[in-house]
Amino acid sequence: MFAELTHPSEHDDDGAVHVHVSSAQFYWGIFGALVFLTFVTVAVSYFDFGSANIVIAMVVATAKAGLVATFFMHLRHDKLFNTLTFLAAFLFLAIFILLTYDDIGRRGQVDNDYGGTINAKTGQAAPGGEPATSATSNEANGKPPEAP
Amino acid sequence: MANVTEAVEPGKGHEEHGGHAHAHPSFLAHHFDTPAQQFNAAKLGMWVFIATEILMFGGLFCAYAIWRAVDPSIFDLAHHFLNKKMGAANTVVLLFSSLTAALAVRSAQVGKRKETSVYLIITILCACAFLVIKYFEYAHKIHLGLLPGHCFGHPGFSGAIENGEEVGTCLRVHADQAAGTPEWVRAVDEDGHVQLLPPRANMYFGLYFMMTGLHGLHVLIGMSILGWVLVRNMKGQFSKEYFTAVDLGALYWHLVDLVWIYLFPLLYLVGKPE
Repeated sequence: MFAELTHPSEHDDDGAVHVHVSSAQFYWGIFGALVFLTFVTVAVSYFDFGSANIVIAMVVATAKAGLVATFFMHLRHDKLFNTLTFLAAFLFLAIFILLTYDDIGRRGQVDNDYGGTINAKTGQAAPGGEPATSATSNEANGKPPEAP
Repeated sequence: MANVTEAVEPGKGHEEHGGHAHAHPSFLAHHFDTPAQQFNAAKLGMWVFIATEILMFGGLFCAYAIWRAVDPSIFDLAHHFLNKKMGAANTVVLLFSSLTAALAVRSAQVGKRKETSVYLIITILCACAFLVIKYFEYAHKIHLGLLPGHCFGHPGFSGAIENGEEVGTCLRVHADQAAGTPEWVRAVDEDGHVQLLPPRANMYFGLYFMMTGLHGLHVLIGMSILGWVLVRNMKGQFSKEYFTAVDLGALYWHLVDLVWIYLFPLLYLVGKPE
């Protein structure tokens, strides 16, 4: 299986470099699609879809990144192992971000520094840390001061 | 592994390079059997390097994800200080440079040396255009005082700035008159509106400068690599049979494009519109 991943090409026997050559028009077409998607993502940014804003932006960005990686970076006609190497980076990036996210998201459950409570319903503060000061809680509430 | 030496009749022996079906080309390093093997090894190495680059930027993307989750309101407020039109223009410039980089590789693949040089020059010029636009964006933000430590500084570290004193064109405003309270920052955003930013909006601008700064550094490195490839191409060191450096240089440039494809919406677009 590994050998298939690294050597799927039928040309390898003569030892010379053989690559798939796409036409220039094809590359221009990909560029057109990329500019179109850029236009789309800027246009929708003027509308508020709430929490879907970032989802839409990331879906469009991933579509653009996919076009660049697949065609400009030749992954479509390259060895599959190179694609796996590339995707592995995103797998580890996802692990990195999701575990950090989980850590930050749950830290408040045990640490009063982060406004944590043992039980959200009773509001009983978690042990440790210091109670939030009025200044920081005012800031946290997002209330701007009076302008001088 | 499919290897040219297998094609040699048994008993002919392996004299110096004699086992190879082709003459050993000058571009083929002695530790590789064939140009294809050398090319594939170089490509795999480049992709591993690209993976490490993604993980390096990943640290900043992780910081972004966390801060956005913790406090989305500062992203909504502060992203109005970024100019969407300049960001979009820079996106198109980079996408176009990626196109010309891909076309440079295509020309190299079919052995059109002059075309390769022209496309490489266009790519480098686009990189310059990107940096010029970026310069105008940075200059405006620095003028506003949005760098860390100007308007955004811990009161304990910037005692010289009094309440209400102008720094650049932004203004630090005390939440109340009590000493040691965090200072809010008043500044005019890209839409011409006066915004009152909480002190922690510093985090948004910190991420902005670090992410675009690291990306900008990659643009500079990418320009140098493409410049080196251009010089080698003009010296006639590449051919239809050997264009590895053109291919890998372009891959690096596409990586720069890839990162920007994510930076642009994350920094310029995802906040709440007005």
